[in-house]
Amino acid sequence: MSSRVFTVNRNVHPGFWPIIIGHWETLKNLFRTLVLRQASTIQYPEQKRDVSRRYRGIHILAARADGTPKCVACFLCATVCPAECIHIEAGERPERTIEKYPVRFEIDLLRCVYCGFCVDACPEEAILMSRENDLVGTSREELIIDRDRLMRRAGLAEHGVGYRPTDHDLRRPVRIEAIEDMKNRYGLNGPRPRR
Amino acid sequence: MKCMIDGREIEVEPGTSIILAAQRLGIRIPHFCWHPDLSVDGNCRMCVVEIEGSSKPQTACSTMVTDGMVVHTDSPQVRKARRATLELLLVNHPIDCPVCDQAGECYLQDQYMEHGLHDARISLDEKVRKRKVVDLGPIVLDAERCVLCSRCIRFEREVTGTNQLGFVGRGDHTEIAAFDNRPISHNYAGNLADVCPVGALLSRDFRFRMRVWFLESTPSVCPGCSTGCNIFIDHRDGEIHRLRPRRNVSVNRSWMCDLGRALYKGAGAPSRLLGARLRSEDDRGMIPVGEALDLLSSRLRDAGEDVAFLASPQATNEDLFAFQSLCDAVSGMLDFRVDDPQDRMAVLEDGVLLRADRNPNTRGCLELGLGRTGVDAIMSACRAGRVKALLLQGPELLRTPAAGIFLEKVPFVAVMAENDEPALARAHLVLPAAAWTENEGTFVNFARRVQRIERAIEPPGESRPRWRLASDLLARLSRPLDATTAWDVFRLASRSTAAFSGLEHVSIGESGLDLDAIKES
Repeated sequence: MSSRVFTVNRNVHPGFWPIIIGHWETLKNLFRTLVLRQASTIQYPEQKRDVSRRYRGIHILAARADGTPKCVACFLCATVCPAECIHIEAGERPERTIEKYPVRFEIDLLRCVYCGFCVDACPEEAILMSRENDLVGTSREELIIDRDRLMRRAGLAEHGVGYRPTDHDLRRPVRIEAIEDMKNRYGLNGPRPRR
Repeated sequence: MKCMIDGREIEVEPGTSIILAAQRLGIRIPHFCWHPDLSVDGNCRMCVVEIEGSSKPQTACSTMVTDGMVVHTDSPQVRKARRATLELLLVNHPIDCPVCDQAGECYLQDQYMEHGLHDARISLDEKVRKRKVVDLGPIVLDAERCVLCSRCIRFEREVTGTNQLGFVGRGDHTEIAAFDNRPISHNYAGNLADVCPVGALLSRDFRFRMRVWFLESTPSVCPGCSTGCNIFIDHRDGEIHRLRPRRNVSVNRSWMCDLGRALYKGAGAPSRLLGARLRSEDDRGMIPVGEALDLLSSRLRDAGEDVAFLASPQATNEDLFAFQSLCDAVSGMLDFRVDDPQDRMAVLEDGVLLRADRNPNTRGCLELGLGRTGVDAIMSACRAGRVKALLLQGPELLRTPAAGIFLEKVPFVAVMAENDEPALARAHLVLPAAAWTENEGTFVNFARRVQRIERAIEPPGESRPRWRLASDLLARLSRPLDATTAWDVFRLASRSTAAFSGLEHVSIGESGLDLDAIKES
């Protein structure tokens, strides 16, 4: 297929109109922003953009009522993770019905691609995602976040829980329980960020 | 005797079961209780097949092939029967796959995905609860996961003869138990976890270490004794997580001992030597391996014929051959029999697999003719001050209590070792050697069977295989060995050794070759 070639004669003076049109656009937007207050930009970081309720932000590790991780260190999230950013070491729990829990659970947030596969893979609904997306650190090590930081997320109340398995699967009470627990603890859907 | 299985004809000898005949055709019949190296029990009912002329499905494990038998392993009747069996086996299963170490190599998981895929009709609350996390020493028992196949009971009865496990209770309360929960006390406990098709019996050592689907398996041979059990080295990212037996009917069948299973720990131990170490007046400093080899080769050259070499029966044939070539290059004294493992080679220690000689390659040393001078002669020469340099392929001699007296007058002792230990302080120069998991080569077991080991992981730090250390020294003595891999060394060895003549690593194969049988054919 051949493409057509245009030749533009740049020696011809374009005249006055293009300048008028250009300035008109500028003035129109100036009026819209200053007088009508309809700007599309927001004052980040004082203002934050409202994101979807299924937003895939920084991970949360859900806790049991006694404060221990809900995770049973089954490694399914580490298996499914396409970025290989989850590192788990399993240990023995005294309760014989649970047996196993993560001694170490680390997510390298710089490697993570926020695909949410870990949330989908988790059989215990122990890993969820929040709507927090502003990730700042001064070193790489700081952004490898460990089990205890994943369980006690400071920004959670502000941003709310993001991507999590839908609770239509009513045959599994464990899922509902976890979501109720998150509601009590952090406010599941969270106060929506003010604009 | 001919029969048809799924429309394919096969000829088998009388007394072959249908499951074995099908296996030979590459048809896998699902099963739990059948094991190729245990007696047939026929209790799990999973292996049922349809035999033309028989109204009901028959178990493939306990039905022998008859002439002209026509078998269908995947007919609607068979599929229905399998599904029903699987659903019954899963009735009281706790479905705790996320915390179960068997997940990934579990017969229940695999066969549910292949033949079941039914919805559960029993809720978790209705299931019969049994004992969980019962400590049986090297084994952890979870009675809820058990499918009551009795493989472990038959293993205890037929292989070790210890009978430590049995069924207790009736109906759906039946469970596996050890008397008084006493720990499994024999040396073959690890096999219980292997024979268990589900997660009821699991290894204490491997518990929660790694999920099995991450592991990569390298075929190898256990270096724990002169039996030479065939094994798989299961590793991930340069770290070994477990050893498990590899079936070889001529050597170890499907078993290996717990002493052998624990051997992976040495290769990853924090005491591994990562560089060469030279003993000097002020301190024992680390030096680059290249520098150490330069030093050693100049010592060997200076010493002339007053050099003694002591090989190790822990080394592979390739290591031994390169070591022997090094000895020939300077025409020194050579032997390998520290503590004389030769006497104990054929002695069975517990009547199952373990042999008194804990070296994998004593036979290989003999085949290569390493027993030349005699250890006593070398020792007396050392004591008389006639040995100017002594090169040890392993630290065995240094560990003997009398070593201090014998080595007093030897001005230069060099040793190749994998792990640091106090005995190494007796040597002047320590060279870091690769462990058996990081080396490739061959071992000859007590019955003259040559078997191959393969490299699972890379040697740590500057350590390198013993044959490589020897060939590096030979290159410095301007007698280079014509070899870049261990298999090249084996080719060289096969040219000069009668027992290995005409052999190559490819012809040895994964299950090894009997040297006596080759000679006859």
